[in-house]
Amino acid sequence: MSMAQKKIGDVLLKVDNISLSFGGVKALTDISFEIREHEVLAIIGPNGAGKSSMLNCINGFYHPQEGTITYRGAARRQMRPHEAASQGIARTFQNIALFKGMSTLDNIMTGRLLKMKAGLLSSAIYKGPAEKEQIVHREFCERIIDFLEIEAIRKVPVGRLPYGLQKRVELGRALAAEPSLLLLDEPMAGMNLEEKQDMCRFILDVNDEFGTTICLIEHDMGVVMDISDRVVVLDYGRKIGDGVPEEIKGNQAVIDAYLGVQH
Amino acid sequence: MAFFFEVLIGGLMAGVMYSLVALGFVLIFKASGVFNFAQGAMVLFAGLFFVGFIELGLPLWISLILTIAVMILLAGVIERLVLRHLVNQEGIILFMATIGVSFFLDGFGQLIWGSNVRQLDVGIPTDPILLFDGDILIQSFDLWATMVAAFLLAVLVVFQKTRVGRALRAVADDHQAAQSVGIPLNVIWVIVWSIAGLVALVAGVMWGSKLGVQPAIVTLALKALPVLILGGFTSIPGAIIGGLIIGAGEKLAEIYIGPFVGGGIENWFAYVVALGFLLVRPQGLFGEKIIERV
Amino acid sequence: MSEKSALPDGRDPLGRDTIPKFLAYNAVHRRDLPAMREKDLGIWQSWTWGEVAGRVRDMAGGLAALGFRRGDKLAIVGDNRPELYWAVGAAQALGGIPVPIYQDSVAEEMQFVIDHAEVRFALAENQEQVDKLLSIRDRLPRLEIILYSDPRGMRHYDQPFLKALDTVMEQGAAHNAAHPDFFDAELAAGSGSDISIICYTSGTTGRPKGVMLSHDNVVRSANLAIAFDNITARDEILAYLPLAWVGDNFISYAEATIAGFCVNCPESADTVLQDLREIGPTYFFAPPRIFENLLTTVMIRMEDASGFKRRMFHFFIGVAKRAGRNILEGKPVALTDRLLYALGDLLVYGPLKNVLGMTRLRLAYTAGEAIGPDIFDFFRALGINLKQLYGQTESTVYLCLQTDADVRSDTVGPPGPGIELRIDGDSGEVLYRSPGVFVGYFKDEAATAETKTPDGWVHTGDAGVFTDAGHLRIIDRAKDVGRLTGGALFAPKYVENKLKFFPSIKEAVVFGHERDHATAFINIDLGAVGSWAERNGIAYTSYSDLAGRPEVYDQIRTCIEQVNRDLASDSSMAACQVKRFLILHKELDADDGELTRTRKVRRRTIAERYGTLIEALYSGQDAIAVEAKITFEDGRTGTFRANLKIAAAETYTPMRKAG
Repeated sequence: MSMAQKKIGDVLLKVDNISLSFGGVKALTDISFEIREHEVLAIIGPNGAGKSSMLNCINGFYHPQEGTITYRGAARRQMRPHEAASQGIARTFQNIALFKGMSTLDNIMTGRLLKMKAGLLSSAIYKGPAEKEQIVHREFCERIIDFLEIEAIRKVPVGRLPYGLQKRVELGRALAAEPSLLLLDEPMAGMNLEEKQDMCRFILDVNDEFGTTICLIEHDMGVVMDISDRVVVLDYGRKIGDGVPEEIKGNQAVIDAYLGVQH
Repeated sequence: MAFFFEVLIGGLMAGVMYSLVALGFVLIFKASGVFNFAQGAMVLFAGLFFVGFIELGLPLWISLILTIAVMILLAGVIERLVLRHLVNQEGIILFMATIGVSFFLDGFGQLIWGSNVRQLDVGIPTDPILLFDGDILIQSFDLWATMVAAFLLAVLVVFQKTRVGRALRAVADDHQAAQSVGIPLNVIWVIVWSIAGLVALVAGVMWGSKLGVQPAIVTLALKALPVLILGGFTSIPGAIIGGLIIGAGEKLAEIYIGPFVGGGIENWFAYVVALGFLLVRPQGLFGEKIIERV
Repeated sequence: MSEKSALPDGRDPLGRDTIPKFLAYNAVHRRDLPAMREKDLGIWQSWTWGEVAGRVRDMAGGLAALGFRRGDKLAIVGDNRPELYWAVGAAQALGGIPVPIYQDSVAEEMQFVIDHAEVRFALAENQEQVDKLLSIRDRLPRLEIILYSDPRGMRHYDQPFLKALDTVMEQGAAHNAAHPDFFDAELAAGSGSDISIICYTSGTTGRPKGVMLSHDNVVRSANLAIAFDNITARDEILAYLPLAWVGDNFISYAEATIAGFCVNCPESADTVLQDLREIGPTYFFAPPRIFENLLTTVMIRMEDASGFKRRMFHFFIGVAKRAGRNILEGKPVALTDRLLYALGDLLVYGPLKNVLGMTRLRLAYTAGEAIGPDIFDFFRALGINLKQLYGQTESTVYLCLQTDADVRSDTVGPPGPGIELRIDGDSGEVLYRSPGVFVGYFKDEAATAETKTPDGWVHTGDAGVFTDAGHLRIIDRAKDVGRLTGGALFAPKYVENKLKFFPSIKEAVVFGHERDHATAFINIDLGAVGSWAERNGIAYTSYSDLAGRPEVYDQIRTCIEQVNRDLASDSSMAACQVKRFLILHKELDADDGELTRTRKVRRRTIAERYGTLIEALYSGQDAIAVEAKITFEDGRTGTFRANLKIAAAETYTPMRKAG
């Protein structure tokens, strides 16, 4: 029943001496850390600390000028987002990037695109194996809908949904790809307490039921300390802390960063 | 009454020709939010290459395959040289870029193949058909054009249900989200422009067979604009129905209103209808409602 | 599909005296007909009667293998899921007693029921319910085994007393295979006098009481109701009301099994309206609140619709209100209205019923509290056969049922089939005798004796009158009913409810016990009256200010006079007309102890606190000065002074209504 039984595995992704700058402005400086299989890792830090930039580097939206990212043992300098996705990295966005015109179900089905094999020709004929495949995918997506308890909005265009539900659909779309690494950029931003509790439960359930490794950015310290196995702290693009939640709570540099001590 | 129907049917079939061009616009606009000013030029470009290959003495089907290859190549070049550098730019900038593409295609096509009017004959029959004991006369060419358009539409509808079609809709909706679920943006753009190129080829063949392949096609293709305003920029059925309405409307107006205002209505009727629509229903008949959040 | 109909006393001609025996019959005679559906993963899954009977048999075998014996209680807690209904059948087949518990109960409430009912076995739908049970388990020494049906999130639960229902059913199948005669023997051992279910009712005061209903109660009542409304195996329902409520057990389990119709379980509590639309039930039960919400949704949607649609909607709803009820009840209607109604059905009512999932609906009931006449008439005007029933857990759901031919919004109809009703001359309380009269309260002889008289009459606790047409009208709780000095019955809540149906009146408190006429305190609805004031250019600063406006007094007077007219038309209630009223300077508030948390008026507190105002209503004064201590939101206190106007309202001479 307790999370203590969870097996944390080998290193899944390793970030080595990453530096990223935009037109001379340094966003990340010499960052290194690891994400281990099956763990929940939180990246925290004040606004502008470079948290989102870090996620964007991991899934290939940004290409760091220096350093390497090693994923499943293969080091790389540059990777494009769709390549990251095809290697099992799924993500959500801080400002929600959903297909607004599509229904909840279609959004999640689209998240499953990479898993669909039927080629152009066979699906154009739209019978036989392609149809069977379609049914299998639909069932998988329905399981996600059941899991996230969003049956009631299955057919609703997501643009019409309230913020909290959109966040949930976005998580669903990421799960549809059966990722091995799930990046969540502020999954609980702008939610009320009840929605936050639900989201926490979903994140822990995903981690527990499917063994998905999760790397998340979050501002709510209570949430971070509750659900993460390990915490990495960034401040002004540098790493100032890395450890289990208990250590981070007592780390002077982290406390200073959060209390706004001048640098 | 029979005369009325004859005019109506003739107009509807002429409308199909507008729809063919409008379809190309809609495809690109839906998938990338770009209003592709070069669609008309692409129709001429495709027509010129096709007729050019035929004039070189190549068999019809080889010419067709070669032209298809040219249009796909063109899509690749446009993606590589233009679109890739303009990712995440404002729509207006992309629009300006397509104007550039338009001039380039117009000039480049004529540079290679010259600017003469060239006859194109792909064997579509042109004899008139009589219906209802000869009361109504329609052109068999128009009938062919309608069938071709219907076939094209069917292909596009089926295509939308495929994996690629789904990816296309995703890209149209949100670039960032599409990338994050593993859709390669560049590939999708090449596909979209290729499809638009193929639609342009069909339109080029049909227009070319009717009027001959000539630079005036580019201007004629602009008739697709009012069609789009009527049908909505994002709707494939809208493009078809818009084309039919404009086609039938201008023919009927020419016959029944023309005499009172001295004729020539056909040339501006479509634009007046479009203007009216902009005032009443700016999203068009089938377009998505435009909601600007402030 | 003609079935042998039940005997006049509700007994079964084939001698089936427990519900599982009907299930066994269905397993043979309706084997391939649909018995249940549930939407799961976006698809309606279905089970035939043959399959349902198989599941119940497996589950019974599994329970027996775990040591469940005749007379044991099985607590059941969760949403409307097929397995939970099967568990009811399985427990009954073994001679056990299901004890359904409201799924939204907090752990302490569950603890009371499980402890009081001496439950040994509990079935929880999911992790949430299991967690609640685990949190109270150490205080429930008798509770031995907890079964759960949804395995999600249960992976790390390894306590030996926790069992997955699927596993238990597999073991049950094995158990039945090893003892092939076991199930049928248990089934045959059951008899009509066995307890079929214990339903715990919250009651307004005190701790819940366990109402024991026998199989005879349920089978006979269900048979009579089925015959009354001509319910058949072709009917369909959506099971969405709590399992722990006696009505759901009666309709979705007992009636369904006896009549053999199909029960549909919604995908989740949030999707009920969508599921309703997809299923299109023929038989539907809902408390007034649900009909009210449906109407509100429709109205809001129409306000957003285009002008043309809106006008069309209102025009045809007007036609429906004029002609719809008469058409439904087969009364004469002018030809033009009949034609317009047919057109309206095509353009408005049909599509609307389709959206509401009521296209196939032929029988709808509402009960539980008074339904607003406007809401009631709206649905009937659309051609939906919405009727009211009155009853209670102790009477096995119903006492009065409205007949299709005579439906009124302000009565609950004549006594139902097999029901004897009388009204106590002194207290005005309704008493009944019927085949559905409960066996007793579990482990509460005293309460049973208090409710059931030795000659078999049961006290409902409700005061009622028979209208001139022989329909029962419930007026109040019996203990709240008083007498005017003239001797006439005084039913404050009845009058208050009538007043509160006006949107501008939020609360009303009516006085009159041991007085010679009735008077009232009114609370206006700030939202409704406020927006009315804005539209009419009446400026106001606060609730108290608005409440004191003469225009507002005029508006309220109109409402009261309308109620008076209404009361005058009914000989038994005519004396309750409100002669004088005032609009209170403050809203009655639960924080001040004037209302209960469920917004019921606390008469005694109000009478004490506002004694001087009540006296003023009965004196000749036309105003009274009030001074009240008020507590502001930030905790400061202040004093409020005002002169409250007292106004008179017209009263009407009683007359006998025809019919």
